[in-house]
Amino acid sequence: MAATIDKIQSQDTYQINGKTFTSRLLVGTGKYATHELMAECLEASGTEMVTVALRRIPLDKKNEKNLLDFIDLKKYTLLPNTAGCYSAEEAIRVAHLARAAGLSDFIKLEVLFDEKTLLPDPLATLEATKILVKEGFTVMTYTSDDPVMAQKLEQAGAHAVMPAGSPIGSGQGVLNPNNIRIILEKLKCPVLIDAGVGSASDVAFAMELGVVAVLLNTAIAHAKDPLKMAYAMKNACEAGRLSYRAGRIPKKLYAQASTPDKDF
Amino acid sequence: MRLFINGELKDLAVGTDLAGLIQSLGLRPETLVSEVNLKIIQAADRAGFALSEGDRVELIQFVGGG
Repeated sequence: MAATIDKIQSQDTYQINGKTFTSRLLVGTGKYATHELMAECLEASGTEMVTVALRRIPLDKKNEKNLLDFIDLKKYTLLPNTAGCYSAEEAIRVAHLARAAGLSDFIKLEVLFDEKTLLPDPLATLEATKILVKEGFTVMTYTSDDPVMAQKLEQAGAHAVMPAGSPIGSGQGVLNPNNIRIILEKLKCPVLIDAGVGSASDVAFAMELGVVAVLLNTAIAHAKDPLKMAYAMKNACEAGRLSYRAGRIPKKLYAQASTPDKDF
Repeated sequence: MRLFINGELKDLAVGTDLAGLIQSLGLRPETLVSEVNLKIIQAADRAGFALSEGDRVELIQFVGGG
């Protein structure tokens, strides 16, 4: 059986700007109760790429443990984000700071428009994508599920386009699968679902649409039992991917008997 | 001299360099990124980087995020 499983799972990797990954789950490091729990969840999720943010060091809490002490950089690729930026200039500044740490050229570009919806500002996102690609970053751009915008971002050189399934942290799953299908049909670069998934079935559903990977954070970090949810997400991601590769049966209106007609 | 460190106005001895400031705050230099007046100062350049009255110093680290 082990050999059969190997045959099923073999050679299903993907690349982002030339770097190869096997795990199709990208996991955020925010909102966990402790750094220790986060580290366990990352391991249980099987992820190979984790998002991090950049913030001021609180000068009154200088002895607090550092996040990076809990992330094995030999195991995980760091994907710093530009979360909280509301202009191209701000996002570019944060990207420069992230790269100056010398740990990763990857950037999850996120330029937001307003705090309530956390929807991206498409024009500022496009502008920042162009500049950061020129500057040699590996740019993975968060966007809405608008197929036109997704194509513009690919044309601007984004190394991955990451439409939101639904608003960040909302746990609503993929609200407009048809838009994701159109994006997948039009784009050649990797497309990831970034944000909005709430449960394992949401991840499986997203993967069955054919996206290369799913990025999530809150769904694990704020689950009642984050560790169990991390493992559930890993399995859902793998199941959804295999289901996509296997090719589902078409949906039909009427029943189709699974058993031959009774003949005696 | 008075300058802004992560947005807070602080008093600092004249002649303090950036490396000295980071040390005096008890921070681990390898875990942070530094910026003075919106210009990134690489870790190797912090020693001898003179700070001046009114400078805006940002000391930034990686934190959890999605």
